[in-house]
Amino acid sequence: MKSLVLVKQVPSADSPFRLNSSGTWIEEGNLTFGLNDYDRYALEALLKLKDAGKVAEVVALTVGPERAATVLRTCLATGADRAIHVKDAALEGSDPLSLAKVIKAAIQGEGFSLIMAGLQADDDNYGQIGPLLARLLDRPSATAAMGLELRDGTTVRVEREMENNRLLVVDLTLPAVITVQTGINEPRYASLKGIMAAKKKEIRTVALKDLGLDAAEVGGRAARLRTVRLASPPKGKGAEILKGPADEIARELVKRIREKTGVI
Amino acid sequence: MPCKVLVLAEHEGGAVAGITYELLGMAHRVAGEMGWAPAEIKALLIGSGIAGAAAEIAARGAAEVIVAEGPAVQGYTGDAWHRVVEAVAKSESPEMVLFGHTPNGWDVAPLVAAGLGVPLATECSAIARESGAFRFSRKAFNGKFVQVIDLGTARPLLATMQKGAAPAFSAATRGRVRPVPAGVGEADLRARFVEIKKGQAGAVDLTQAAIIVSGGRGLGGADKFAVIRDLAQALGGQVGASRPVTDMGWLPHEHQVGSSGVTVSPKLYIACGISGAIQHIVGMRGSGYIVAINKDAEAPIFGVADVGVVGDLFEIVPALTKAVKEAKG
Repeated sequence: MKSLVLVKQVPSADSPFRLNSSGTWIEEGNLTFGLNDYDRYALEALLKLKDAGKVAEVVALTVGPERAATVLRTCLATGADRAIHVKDAALEGSDPLSLAKVIKAAIQGEGFSLIMAGLQADDDNYGQIGPLLARLLDRPSATAAMGLELRDGTTVRVEREMENNRLLVVDLTLPAVITVQTGINEPRYASLKGIMAAKKKEIRTVALKDLGLDAAEVGGRAARLRTVRLASPPKGKGAEILKGPADEIARELVKRIREKTGVI
Repeated sequence: MPCKVLVLAEHEGGAVAGITYELLGMAHRVAGEMGWAPAEIKALLIGSGIAGAAAEIAARGAAEVIVAEGPAVQGYTGDAWHRVVEAVAKSESPEMVLFGHTPNGWDVAPLVAAGLGVPLATECSAIARESGAFRFSRKAFNGKFVQVIDLGTARPLLATMQKGAAPAFSAATRGRVRPVPAGVGEADLRARFVEIKKGQAGAVDLTQAAIIVSGGRGLGGADKFAVIRDLAQALGGQVGASRPVTDMGWLPHEHQVGSSGVTVSPKLYIACGISGAIQHIVGMRGSGYIVAINKDAEAPIFGVADVGVVGDLFEIVPALTKAVKEAKG
């Protein structure tokens, strides 16, 4: 059984985030990038199935600029067998539906039975690509998996995270697309041996023309979902900020908590 | 009557979920702004054993409740539900379809978007008219920024709305209920609903707690939680956590506050070393009084807190514990 994990390179959480000059996205110059956290769990879910002999091959795919190849190398070093990098300058600014179309074209003929991705990316937080792709492929999907079990060669049982600590259990007929919630497993790290072995693994780079796609249909210029602006969040009513030595602050806090809540 | 806004109702075993009325509240707000008739606001209700729910929604915001009932849609599956939503969206041709940003709303909305070939804005907190177009506001980069999205001229516009984006519609309406065939046969489906079950069992029930002291990534490790426990104990409260804490196994999942954990509304909520990703904030912003302690003055948690301290939690929290003990005598 062949499997695919969709991954994304995103800015690391501790990067210095600043708005770009046009106020439409963040300034990328000062950022450090890494593999989207959610995707680590998606990759781990497939590597576990491979360890158990239920999946024969794990392929990692990303759509992104040159720098995004590093997350594919991370996947290969962690245990993925090969990688596909869809790279085309015209794709910058593509919207989620376009990206799903690009991914569909890039995996045509591969015959993946299980396609996994993180629930969302830590940058845009859209959480759309997995189910969009499923619908374009006309295959079933489930999001926010906290449990996953291959029942036999034809069905996968997914436990989806619901509110208030409950799980919705659903059986999907393969091929299927599943996005995972963080915490579903404990992602492994690349070993030194894995890093060495990754150097011999293939990263196939494909451009739009290789996929028979037209930038006018799927590229940034064709995007219908468009960011008008990005801004720092309003401070809301904003907290009153207490200043001073710790013991003084603590006494002030106790006073306010007592006045406002009566719990002390 | 034509349809301008279609709302996907949510229910649990026939009990209407609160988000449904918030979506209707948003629909009425948008319609009011656009001069659309309230009669053009409809809700779609999918499931089985939902006659009572349909009547309730018709009496509280929807001019028409379109009811799709049948064995194939008895339990939620994206595979079954997206077919119904797509079919109704095609026949009603609304300007806008609103979903809750809930586990199932977020699951089905992208399927509908791809099926109809239109863009979707997820996790929105507001819809506004700007330069003659609808603009959808949401958080990006885990709450660090507010993003305003335009979806272009394709219709319908699709959005999943965060809880609390609009007040629940509360006026009385006299809508009608219209059953439609679900149009989905069990044999068509590649997904089968099995059950809804409890997650990991735990002794902690934060939803009932009057006082919660929560720790976040800023604590740095499972062994550092003692300072949080000490303060919770001094206050007679419970220990909560943000998602990274439970993901890293520092605390069991039942301690997690937020959209994927529990939603809490204690009298007092103290957030320590929690930056305030939107997923956490939606789970605790209903608290009576919020105290935030974080070393980053720019952390979004200070936007929802009543009182904040910018500083090292390992200094502030133990000092607060001591002061609480002294105050209690």
